[in-house]
Amino acid sequence: MRSPLGRARGLGSAREGVESWWLERVMAVALVPLTLWFAASLIALGRSDYATFIAWLKTPLAALLMVLLLIALFTHLALGLRVVIEDYVHSGAKIPALLAARFACFALGIAGILATLRIVLGD
Amino acid sequence: MIIRSSDQVPRTTLLKRFPLPRNFGVSRQSRIERGRTWPAPAGATRVKTFEIYRYDPDSGKNPRLDSFEVDLDECGLMVLDVLIWIKSKVDSTLTFRRSCREGVCGSCAMNIDGTNWLACTRFVSETRDRATIYPLNNMPVIKDLVPDLTHVFAQYSLIEPWLKSKTPAPETERLQSPEERRQLDGNWECILCFCCTSGCPSHWWNADRFLGPAVLLQAWRWLVDSRDEATGERLDDLEDPFRLYRCHTILNCTRTCPKGLNPGKAIAGIKKMMIERRS
Amino acid sequence: MSKSSARPLSPHLQIYRPQLTSVLSFAHRLTGVTLGIYAIALVAWLMAAAAGSQPYSIVQNFMQSLFGQVLLVGGIFCFFLHLCGGIRHLLWDTGRGFELRAIYASGWIVVAASTLLTVAAWIVSSILAR
Repeated sequence: MRSPLGRARGLGSAREGVESWWLERVMAVALVPLTLWFAASLIALGRSDYATFIAWLKTPLAALLMVLLLIALFTHLALGLRVVIEDYVHSGAKIPALLAARFACFALGIAGILATLRIVLGD
Repeated sequence: MIIRSSDQVPRTTLLKRFPLPRNFGVSRQSRIERGRTWPAPAGATRVKTFEIYRYDPDSGKNPRLDSFEVDLDECGLMVLDVLIWIKSKVDSTLTFRRSCREGVCGSCAMNIDGTNWLACTRFVSETRDRATIYPLNNMPVIKDLVPDLTHVFAQYSLIEPWLKSKTPAPETERLQSPEERRQLDGNWECILCFCCTSGCPSHWWNADRFLGPAVLLQAWRWLVDSRDEATGERLDDLEDPFRLYRCHTILNCTRTCPKGLNPGKAIAGIKKMMIERRS
Repeated sequence: MSKSSARPLSPHLQIYRPQLTSVLSFAHRLTGVTLGIYAIALVAWLMAAAAGSQPYSIVQNFMQSLFGQVLLVGGIFCFFLHLCGGIRHLLWDTGRGFELRAIYASGWIVVAASTLLTVAAWIVSSILAR
């Protein structure tokens, strides 16, 4: 039986939010050239065989850009998924969903970087 | 195809509604049922059908959609004129808010043909063959086309829409250059009709915590007022993942504003201010 | 307050007219989430390559099947739609492009550019495959 103003004010302002908004945009700006490079590389590689692909990824530029792409991609994805989940999930499932999304993005990012390093540093 | 101003009604419609069931995700008490048809009076010449949302709180029944066949030769040019004609000649229980009949008070804001506008400034000739009239979206309905605006007005009072300054008031006016006064243009003209807020999908999903375009436009109005000295505190109160940052620049608000204002742009200004003060 | 809890809620998504603003915004979100699923595929592809030429060729054969090609073209379209939409969003974040005319013009440009870029990518990759 709260007053309308009490309900509208809720728990007050969190006084934060600009950091994640800014980071999502910074990662987006980084992703524009990185994803275009990746798409162009994929098209150029086309149906090449395994040896060609490994040789391409082993070049210092490709290795660096691939790692940067994975970092920017999964950071941007984690922030975006957080916003989507907060928008639609309001039940008790919200926190578990947020945790699951964040952990999955982190794990996938690390897995991708490890795979890249294995290729680059391997034989 | 290219909309130049918000009063432009599109000539073609690809999709009248999203391809969803009529009562998709709606609670049991909000389900809209089929209503009755009110036929045109005898000897009517230009007849047009209006499908109008009805809800009677005293009947205990669910809301329904009534069809009114209206003789356009007996009504004025605007949708509000049709509603007034229906109320006086056909069904006197039809309930709606109205006052100025010239688009300056914001009382008759409602959803006409799927978008929000003022009934008194929407020409009947610009509506569809079977025009639909619903109350403003995602609001508790008091009766027929009258929404309960208590919550959105509470959100408006939350931003403290008054001048805040520690500097004592001068003998005459608080001075403002013409350039500073121009900053208020496009913001002070808001009539608080809440067409924008009720048309914002983000506000549909998070009405309790997201302030919505109307309130944020007014927040911007006070942020850019050169006479106001509490800009920092105002920004502190707005910086919240829900109050401000539920805005995803969907821009339904700018598209639907019956006064031609731009809440989307104002909210972008607030977000820019947030970045500016920490960099 | 029992009156207000008994009050019906007026319809929103069920009756609101789909407009370029809301439809493109939803498409941006949908393609974003879809690209997230494709990101999983990217990591799987890298892990397959790290595991050796055998796992890598399994993934390559799948990508060259009809289903794989459909997924690939769909993914490329999602990518370009999200990229062009993202650039439009970044422009808005600088404060530009908010007049209704600009909103609609940029919206249609995003749709046209994404389609053209997808077709171009498809043509270029087909040529290089020869």
